[in-house]
Amino acid sequence: MLKGTNITKRFGGLVALSEVDFEVQRKEIVGLIGPNGSGKTTLFNVISGLFKPESGQITFEGAPINGLPPHKIARMGIGRTFQIVRPLMDLSLIQNVAIAVMYGRQDINTLQPALERASELLKFTSLNDKAHILPGQLALEDRKRLEVARALASKPEIILLDEVFAGLNQKEIEGAIELTFRIRDEFGVTVFMIEHVMKAIMGTCSRVMALHNGIKIADGDPESVANDPKVIRAYLGAGYAGR
Amino acid sequence: MVSSSNRLVFGVSILLFLCLAIFPWFGLPVYFVSLLFTVFMFVTLATSWNLIGGYAGYLSFGHVAFFGIGAYTTALMMKGLHLSPFWTILSSIPAGFVAMLIAMIVGYPCLRLRGPYFAVVTLCFAFVVDLGIKNLDILGGPEGLWLKSPDLPIETIRAILFEAMLVTMMLSIMLAYWTSRSKFGAGLRAIKEDEEVAQTMAINAPRLKIQAFALSAFFPGMAGGIYAYYLTYIHTDIVFDMMISILIVLMALFGGGGTVMGPVIGAVLLTLINEGLSTFVKAEFARIIYGCLFIGVIIFLPNGIMEFFKKEHRVESGISLAENGGNRSAA
Repeated sequence: MLKGTNITKRFGGLVALSEVDFEVQRKEIVGLIGPNGSGKTTLFNVISGLFKPESGQITFEGAPINGLPPHKIARMGIGRTFQIVRPLMDLSLIQNVAIAVMYGRQDINTLQPALERASELLKFTSLNDKAHILPGQLALEDRKRLEVARALASKPEIILLDEVFAGLNQKEIEGAIELTFRIRDEFGVTVFMIEHVMKAIMGTCSRVMALHNGIKIADGDPESVANDPKVIRAYLGAGYAGR
Repeated sequence: MVSSSNRLVFGVSILLFLCLAIFPWFGLPVYFVSLLFTVFMFVTLATSWNLIGGYAGYLSFGHVAFFGIGAYTTALMMKGLHLSPFWTILSSIPAGFVAMLIAMIVGYPCLRLRGPYFAVVTLCFAFVVDLGIKNLDILGGPEGLWLKSPDLPIETIRAILFEAMLVTMMLSIMLAYWTSRSKFGAGLRAIKEDEEVAQTMAINAPRLKIQAFALSAFFPGMAGGIYAYYLTYIHTDIVFDMMISILIVLMALFGGGGTVMGPVIGAVLLTLINEGLSTFVKAEFARIIYGCLFIGVIIFLPNGIMEFFKKEHRVESGISLAENGGNRSAA
């Protein structure tokens, strides 16, 4: 459903993405891994329209989306979360989500029904008892859940999760893995996720892509990508690749 | 519960409106009518500014331009079309639309800028309009424009203009009230908080900002039109006075940006305090007191006077807050 070919993005002389191809099928959970600075978040920013790629084509359900403004891309059904969580700080959790509901793809245009829908989404992400507090009072785990609730509020077809697991403890990761499956199974939303936590990748993804210095170096099932010498070299250096 | 409190607000507003509406017909000194007229004018300006400045967080320092444009539009229509007094009042409506149109044209490039850049560019816009009109002879140029006053007693004219400004103010407050509980206002709030995130929430930020800017120019344009008629002499130094721009911003933020009542309270208080100080206190002390007042509010109530009421309100919703704290420690 989401397909990119030959995507290149430069920042001045730095090539952040170099001729990257990717494809995500409907109802898949696809992981995107790579060391810091390898271009993962840049790819998400290109998909969601915050960055314009220098070359390449991105299609969503067959329709080209590169060059469209971010709100149109969101409107077509591509939701996302941010790695560094970005809640609307002066608005309560339920308001954060309700605004996304009103502008989303579900024909809810007035406040009251939007608040009801937002309350359901907060229940889904286990935040319902914190609906009326401000995001500043939340712990990191809950802020990440809020990002997810807000992204789901637009009723997307596909959701781009940017390191929803980072900074969480073991128990919280269990919860987040479960949440990822429920996003797909209860909402029917395809998931494309950036992740460093290998436990999360292995536990959720049916397919994994690896980026290194803006180049795609591996694409396949999680097991084989994790054992791919090129991936190991990228993460740990040449000395570990042969083991 | 919501609808009953709504009804109460509605009822009180209507009552207040009627009380104010009959005020000028009791033969009180013209001074009081004029003072209230000024109050209504600043409430209209601050409330309108709040749409773009308070809700969307784009601090426009050039709002006096829309006021002045409205004044000149009305003046030109009055002179060019030889309008009767009745039609002159109504000509402030097209003046509002002219201001709105110019806001759209100016807003298109300017609203791409954020933060201080937007503030500076709107400030320059007001200067440019001011200088432009000063150098156009058909608009009176540096001499200004004299408008013919109708053959009515001054009290009657003032009373009519009083009513016109009152209606304009009520309409601008109604727009603000609608905004505060609409999808439109919610979108603007999201833009204020984080424009990129707002866009990924499928909010068409560029369009929403231009709509807010255009709407925020409409009532100032109308108010300018009424004011032109009230002064009967307009000059760029009066209707493009930069102090008005600054006062609009201060009043809205003094009361509380992004709230319905904030700019109203701010405009009423500051106009009355200013008037009181200049009447009862020596001019040099008046400025000092005025300045201290601002510093006090900025230090103790940085989000405006409305913050004070909100704090009261938060005690109510504090129950759920405490519960949440308890839940977290339990979990």
